[in-house]
Amino acid sequence: MQRILLIAVFLVLGYGLWASPDLKEIAAGVALFLFGMISLENGFKAFMGGALETALRRSTDRLWKSIGFGIASTTLMQSSTLVSLVTISFVSAEMITLAAGIGIIMGANLGTTTGAWLIAGLGLRVDIAAYAMPMLVFGVILLLNRSRALKGVGYLLMGIGFLFLGIHYMKEGFDAVQEGFDLAAYAVPGLPGLLLFTAIGMAVTVIMQSSHATLLVIITALAAGQVTYENALALAIGANLGSAFTTALGGLTANLGGKRLAVAHVLFNVMTAAVAVALIGQMAWAVDQISGWVGIAEDDFLLKLALFHTLFNLLGVVLLAPFVRPLERLLIRYVHFAPPPAEQPRFLFPESLKTPATAVTAVRNEVAHLYDNAHGLIAHGMSLRRRVIDSDASLSQAVRQTRRIMPLDVDDIYETKIKSLHSAIVGFIGEVHAREISEQWTERLYDLQQASRAIVEAVKATKHLHKNLSRYGVSPSPSVREHYDGIRVQIARLLREIGQLRTEEPGAVTSLSLDSLRLGLERSSMERMNSINRMIRDRQLPPQIATSLMNDEAYAHEIGEKLIDASRVLLQSDEPGDRIADERLALDEGDIERIARGSKPTADAPGETTP
Amino acid sequence: MKTKKLLARLADFMNKDRGTQREELEHIREVLKKLKKKEQRLREKLDADPDDEERRELEGKLEVVHAQRTKGLERVKALRENRRGTSADKFSET
Repeated sequence: MQRILLIAVFLVLGYGLWASPDLKEIAAGVALFLFGMISLENGFKAFMGGALETALRRSTDRLWKSIGFGIASTTLMQSSTLVSLVTISFVSAEMITLAAGIGIIMGANLGTTTGAWLIAGLGLRVDIAAYAMPMLVFGVILLLNRSRALKGVGYLLMGIGFLFLGIHYMKEGFDAVQEGFDLAAYAVPGLPGLLLFTAIGMAVTVIMQSSHATLLVIITALAAGQVTYENALALAIGANLGSAFTTALGGLTANLGGKRLAVAHVLFNVMTAAVAVALIGQMAWAVDQISGWVGIAEDDFLLKLALFHTLFNLLGVVLLAPFVRPLERLLIRYVHFAPPPAEQPRFLFPESLKTPATAVTAVRNEVAHLYDNAHGLIAHGMSLRRRVIDSDASLSQAVRQTRRIMPLDVDDIYETKIKSLHSAIVGFIGEVHAREISEQWTERLYDLQQASRAIVEAVKATKHLHKNLSRYGVSPSPSVREHYDGIRVQIARLLREIGQLRTEEPGAVTSLSLDSLRLGLERSSMERMNSINRMIRDRQLPPQIATSLMNDEAYAHEIGEKLIDASRVLLQSDEPGDRIADERLALDEGDIERIARGSKPTADAPGETTP
Repeated sequence: MKTKKLLARLADFMNKDRGTQREELEHIREVLKKLKKKEQRLREKLDADPDDEERRELEGKLEVVHAQRTKGLERVKALRENRRGTSADKFSET
């Protein structure tokens, strides 16, 4: 469906660009403007390795602070979408409250109005294309640098340069259209016009995913006389409504907290738009009055539109700010998303109960299924994509490049993908035991049940670790960040190696390979604990963070141990000989600890005496 | 290893008949051969001048394979001695 839509858009746009040189200029202007916004986002992301996060946490303990933060950050970044999406991820990670998130969204709505002032006040009066050129040149030179900070500045300069260039092309395009024919002839007066143009503004914003770009189109079209002032006001209201859709889309992928915030954003924007539509006459009158006081000329419709945009967003904030807490309570009480149905077992069927061998195979396959689910959850819990873990890409590099910890509702996934399967496995094993079976099969089933339990425990430890990882994982403090990076690399490597071993033929050598993973786990854990103790001794670490690090170290160790325990059962061959050899040769805790501490092996080197 | 566990294993070992012990010996020797090959592969990788991170990882794996082979060889030695002892007992009985 999406592909067909894309082809249709390409065809229509292609024909339009071929038929009309003016449309080509306007479309190029919009494209450059959007590209400028993408560059700005990239630029800010380069500086977001903790700075924005720290600022966000400190600035959201009061409603006025949250609103102020929303205004300031959106004014600075010129993208309410970026600020809204970052806020959703923070609410999802429970780093800020829902009420603080709502405050930021309100502020972002107000902050985005500065764009209208920028375009109306500066963009169309000054030849900003002249400023764009040097910015692009310097931006590209900085972009070629290796330093991340300089690259970030390069992106920012290029972003502003492209924004300016986009505005210039749009202006030129509409000026040229003006000479050809008059779009304003299609203006619709009265309430139908108001509703129609609100819908158009909303649709254009949803398509361009940017209320800024829509405002640019509105203001340049208004400047060229291609749209009436009344219809432009309606378009601006529509642009605001459209921007809520972008956030709603972002909220869809977030957890319940993020979804609630997205609902709050849509509610806020719909209510603001409804008030603006209902009071459009009074608003227009207020704009005229205020314009008179601040010295905006009677016929300066551009600045009047910018004023209207600010005024109706301000009205929304003033009307709804006192109700943020009740709104939060209502959202928590009423917004519940139907939980996705719990995952059903794939291998546990009554037919499998016919013989002990088929029953054990079914349970083993189901435990492997459970392990696969846990693998994905733990990978995301470490803020790494599953495809990164399953590839040959450098894990250290992937971890180093993390700018934001992925929001993840571990409880939700635990209920639907882990607990449901574990319960089914335990239930099925109970049914097998009800039919008398030999000791050999009982032992196998016991091992598999323990493996299933180990997987569940690894997931539970992931939940605890993820909470602190969200808080300190991208900490501005290099030593804390390094510690969490170490934990993430360690667990990711473990998942990768176990994944690789599972593709090999089951047998003693395969399951014995797990001992080296256990050794790696012990060594890394010892090194990190030593490092924490050293930092505490040298007073480089506040005690609160030190205890969090220690707890998380224990969780990381538990995840590793439990995954190895479960994998040993899954990697064991059915051949009794292999199982005996595995049992005799596998290293026990004492052996691993001795090697990890660097003790020399006591026996002779085996190389020369191998039979 | 805990004493209780050791004693249990010893008792288990002594109670086994010769056939079972021979089978165990064969299985362990089979796995030891595979482990030796694995050790050789790891050494080749180590000789190929890997980066520090990979070197550390390979060295760890080598240490573990070495320890597992040592354990296996001890077990083979014990099984052989036991077989010899049992044969000698039978011989002296006759």
